[in-house]
Amino acid sequence: MKPAPFSYVRPSSLDEACAALASEEDARVLAGGQTLMPMLAMRLSRPTLLVDITRIAELIGIEEQGSSIVVRAATVQAYALRSELIAREVPLLAKALPNVGHPPTRNRGTVGGSVAHGDPSAEISLAATVLEAGIVFRDGEDETSFLPEEFFIGPTVTMAPMGGCLTRIVFPKKPSGRVGTGFHEVASRRSDYAFASAAAQLVFDEDGTCSEARLGIGSVGDVPVKVDVDGLVGGAADDAAIRDVVAEALRDLEAVDDLHATASYRRRAAAALAERALREARDEALESRP
Amino acid sequence: MTEQLRPGRFVSANRRVREDRRFVAGKGRFVADLDIPGVAHVALVASQHPAAFIEEIDASEALAMPGVVGVLTGDELAASTDPLMNGLDTPHVRRFPLAVGQVRYAGEWVCAVVAESRALAEDAAEKVRVRYTKLGFVLDAEKALQTDSTPVHPAHGSNVLLDKTFVWGEVERDFEKAEEHLSFRVTWGRNSTVPIETFGVVAKWDPWEQVLDVWASIQMPKYSDQIARALRIPGNAVRVHYDVDVGGSYGVKRGIKHSVLVAYLARKFGRPIRLIEDRIENMRAGDAHGPERIFDVDVAFDRDGRVRSMKMRALDNAGAYAGRAPFQLGKPIGAIVGPYLIESVQYHAVSVTTNKTVEEAVRGFGQSPTNYAIETMMDRVAAHLGIDRIEIRRRNFIRHEQFPYTIPSGSTYDSGDYHVVVDKVLEAVDLPALEAERDRLRAEGLCAGIGVAACLEPSGGNSSFEPLLNEKNRTSTWMESCRVNVDGLGFVTATVHTTSSGQGHETLVSTVVGEVLEIDPDKIRVVRPDSLGSLPGNSPVGSRMAIMLGGAAAKAAEDLKGQIMRIAAHALKVSEASLVYREGTIEGPDGLKLQWSDIVDIAHRRFHDLPPGVAPGLTATHILQVPTGRELPKEGRAQMYPCHSFEFHVVLVAFDPVLAKPEIRRYVIGHDCGTVINPHIVKGMTLGGIAHGIGAALLEEFAYDEGGQLMTQSFLDYLMPSSHEVPAVEIVKHVTPSPYTVFGQKGSGESGYLGAPAAISGAMHDAVRAWGITFDKLPIRMSTVSDKIAAAREHDRKTA
Repeated sequence: MKPAPFSYVRPSSLDEACAALASEEDARVLAGGQTLMPMLAMRLSRPTLLVDITRIAELIGIEEQGSSIVVRAATVQAYALRSELIAREVPLLAKALPNVGHPPTRNRGTVGGSVAHGDPSAEISLAATVLEAGIVFRDGEDETSFLPEEFFIGPTVTMAPMGGCLTRIVFPKKPSGRVGTGFHEVASRRSDYAFASAAAQLVFDEDGTCSEARLGIGSVGDVPVKVDVDGLVGGAADDAAIRDVVAEALRDLEAVDDLHATASYRRRAAAALAERALREARDEALESRP
Repeated sequence: MTEQLRPGRFVSANRRVREDRRFVAGKGRFVADLDIPGVAHVALVASQHPAAFIEEIDASEALAMPGVVGVLTGDELAASTDPLMNGLDTPHVRRFPLAVGQVRYAGEWVCAVVAESRALAEDAAEKVRVRYTKLGFVLDAEKALQTDSTPVHPAHGSNVLLDKTFVWGEVERDFEKAEEHLSFRVTWGRNSTVPIETFGVVAKWDPWEQVLDVWASIQMPKYSDQIARALRIPGNAVRVHYDVDVGGSYGVKRGIKHSVLVAYLARKFGRPIRLIEDRIENMRAGDAHGPERIFDVDVAFDRDGRVRSMKMRALDNAGAYAGRAPFQLGKPIGAIVGPYLIESVQYHAVSVTTNKTVEEAVRGFGQSPTNYAIETMMDRVAAHLGIDRIEIRRRNFIRHEQFPYTIPSGSTYDSGDYHVVVDKVLEAVDLPALEAERDRLRAEGLCAGIGVAACLEPSGGNSSFEPLLNEKNRTSTWMESCRVNVDGLGFVTATVHTTSSGQGHETLVSTVVGEVLEIDPDKIRVVRPDSLGSLPGNSPVGSRMAIMLGGAAAKAAEDLKGQIMRIAAHALKVSEASLVYREGTIEGPDGLKLQWSDIVDIAHRRFHDLPPGVAPGLTATHILQVPTGRELPKEGRAQMYPCHSFEFHVVLVAFDPVLAKPEIRRYVIGHDCGTVINPHIVKGMTLGGIAHGIGAALLEEFAYDEGGQLMTQSFLDYLMPSSHEVPAVEIVKHVTPSPYTVFGQKGSGESGYLGAPAAISGAMHDAVRAWGITFDKLPIRMSTVSDKIAAAREHDRKTA
C-alpha cells in the first residue's frame, strides 16, 4: 500500500495550478486527500503529478455574491459545516454536511474535492444536484460551469475537463417565502457510504400552498439524481400527497445491487427517506415565518 | 483439585492496569517501531486467480530496478524448507509461504520481492511477470465436499480434511423416546478478528553466532519451534524476542508463513528483512480468516421443554490450506451441550478445503459459532412449544449442585451457578419493563425484539482437541511457566515466556505474586526473556493466561515463600510451623523477627547461614500443567479445558421495518468467570467481545464473488462496528470460583463474543416474529431484513 511514484507541487495561485495541471497528461488535483490518498496507496489511481491546491488562497472561503453563495473548492468541509452563511442561506447544504464522513475526515476533506470525485453517495453532490448549483471549472484561460445533472455521468466519472481545476460551487440562496429542508440517509454504520439518501427542499406560500418542490436521491444509482416532485406544487403536501408523489417519482429509479445492499432495498429505502425528507421540509417550512 | 489461595488485597482489587500507561501515552513498542540497521523490505506478488498453474515467473525487469535486492519464488523456497505444520494428519496438503507450482486462492503469494524500501519493493513487484494457466475452483463448502468436486490439492485426493462422527450416549434411543423433534440449518459467515495492527515480522540472521533473531507481532504456541523446523535449523538457533507489543490479535496473529519467508530471506541475502502486512495483504492473504461454518441441527425434546438429545453436523470451510484451523471443530466438543443437561449428542465434524483464504484461529476457537447454533436451537424449541425463551433455558440448565458435571463428550465442567446469574441479570434488566419498552417501540411502528443467550467460555486452554482429531498427535500438555526471582537488593522480578497481545500479563503476574508475597504489585518487575531464555509455555490462547500464567506465578511465589520460611526457621533456630509470614517480614515466637532484607542477605551472601542443602540465591520456577489435563482422549471422549465461565446476555434491538438498521437499545450481560484477578481487564475483554460479536452478527464478512475474488479487502467493505454502533453495556457480575485454580479464577479472554452473536440474532428474530421470518445466516444484513419484511408484507397483502 505504497503509491506508485509521482511528482508533487503545491502552487500558491490558481494560474500556477492550472499551468501545472496542463503540463502533464496524468496530473491530478490533490485537495483534502481523504479519498485520493487511499486510492493512491492502493495504486487504484496512478497520477504522475499531484497538484496540491490547499494553499491557494483564492480557492478557500465562502461568500455571498448576489443571489448566490459561493463555496470555493478547497474550503474544508468542517469550515462549511460551521458557516453561518450556509446555515442561513443554503440550509439544505447545512443539513447534508454533518453526514459527510466523520469529524477527522471533514477537517481535511474539502467541499470541492467531494464534488469533483463524483461518488454517487456524496452528500454535498446530492445537495448541489437538488439545488441546481453551478460547478465551476477553470481550464487554462477558460471558465466552464456545469449543472450537476450534466456533470455527474457515472460512479466517479464526471464531465470535469482534462487538466481543469474545480474552483467553486455556486449555490443559489434559498428562495423567499417559507422554506423548509430535509436530508436523510441510511448506511450500515453512521456516516458510512450511504445505501440511499434523500434531500428535499420545499417552499410554501403564506397561505400554506406549496409553490416549489425539490427532491434528490443519492447513493441508489450511479449518480445523484433530481426527481420530479412538482406534483406537490399547488397543494398542502400532506403525508398522503407526499407518499403518492414519491412513489410516482421513484417508479423508474435505477438502483445498483451489491454485497451490502440489494437494489430492491435501495429503492425501498430511498422512498422511505424521500418521504421523511419531504415531511421534514414541509413541517419546517410551515413552522417558519415568511 | 488444587489447594486454593484466598483472594485478598490485590487479587480482585480495583487496581490500575499496569500496561495502560504506556499504551495510552503512545509508548508501546510494536514491531514496526523497531529500527533495525540495514533492514530490507518485502513486497509480495499476489495471484489474481483463485486457482491456476504457475507456468513461468519472469522477474528480470524487477531485478534490474534500482534498490531491488532480490526476488524469491516458491520453487526455490520449497526446495530448501519444510512445509508449514498441519494440525491434522494431512501430509499431502502441503503449504509453503509462497505458492509452489499452483495457486489456490486469489491473493495467494507467488513470489517475494526484496528492496531497500517497501515502496521500491512494491514498484518492482508490479514488474514481475507471472504466466498462469487457469484451473477450475470451488468456493462453497457443500460443493467442495462432493466427490466430483475440483480438488484444491489433487495429491490429497479430495477436499475433505476431516470427517469424523462422534456419538456420545444413546442418541438414537433418546431421539426415539423424545416427544418432539425439529431440525434447522444456520450458517456462520466468514469473519475474523481484524486487529488495528496488521501482522509484522523482522528477522535477522547472524552467521557468526548462527542465530536467527525474530521480532514479530505474534500470538502463537510453539512459534520458534515451527520456524526452526521449517528452516531445518536447530531449535536453539531461533531467538524470538517476546518483548514486542502486539497490537491486537484474539487468535489470528499466527504469521508463520510470513515468518518463515522473512527468515529464509534474511539468511539468503545476509540482511535483516522486514515484512509488515498492509491492510489488503492482511485481509486477502494474511491467512487470518475465521471459521465459516454450516450447522445442521436435529434436536429431540419433550413437551415440557427438556432437550433430550442433539445431532449436530458442522461443516467448516477451511480455505486453501489446512494449518491448525480444523481444530476449531474440535475445541467446542468440550462444551458441546453448552450450559444444558443434554444426555446424548451426535456430532459430525467436517472440514473441507476450498479456493478461499486460509482459515486461522479466532477468539473462542470455534466456540462462538457453536454457541450460536446451540442457542438458535433453544430459541426454536421454545418457539415450537410456545414456552418462554428464558424459561426453557432455565429448565435445561445444569444445576449448581450437580457440579462438577461431566457432559456426554467427556469433559467435566468445574463449577457454575447458572440459575442465579440469570436471576441477577433479569433483576438488573427489569424484564417486565424491558418487555414493555419493546412493546412501546412496536406500537410506534418499529420492529423491536429482545434476544437472550446463555453460553459457556471453556478456558485454561489445553491441547486435547489435537489428539482427539489426530490420533498421531500425542500431546497431553500445554504447560505455562513463571520464574520469580529476588535479587541481591531484595527486589522481585517475575518472568513471562511469551508475547502479550493485550491480555495484561504484567498486571496479572505482578498482582498474583504481590498477593502471595504480600508486597505491592507495583514494585514487582515483570520481564519477558527471549525464547532462548524462556521456560516452556504455550502463549495466551484458549482463554488460558489467568489460569495458567496466573497459576504458575502463584505457585512459583508460594515456592519462594517456602524457601524464605525455611531460611528463617534455620536462622531463628525455631520450627517453620511457629513462624508467621507478614508482608515480607517473618515473625516467630517471643518477638523473634527477621526482615525481608535479612532473608535476602542470607540467601545472597551468607551461605554459612543457609540451611543444609539449600542453594544460594532466592529464586523459584514453576511449570504448570493444565489442571485436569491428565490423559489422552479415550474412545472419542476428552477432557477439553479445565474451567468454564458462564455468560447470559439480554439485548433489546429496534429498527425501522423499511430501513432495517438495527439499533441496540439495551445490552446487559451477566458474567461469571470465577474469581476476577483484575476487574478492569475482565471488563475490557467483555466489552470488546460484545463489540466483536455485534460485528459477527450484523456487519462483518469476508465475502467472495462468484469468480473467487474477495470483495471485502479493506475497511470500506469489511464493516467493523464503530463506537456509534456499540452501545453502552451493563455488566452484572457473579463469582462461582473454579475448584481447579489457585484463586478460583476462570478465563475471560473470549467473554462477550461467545454469546453476543446468538443474542443479537435472537433479538432480530423476536423483532420480526409477527411475520415468522427467520434469518439463517450471519451476518444479518440490513437489506436482507428489509427485503424479507417487504416480501412478508406483500404476502400478507395478497392473502388478506
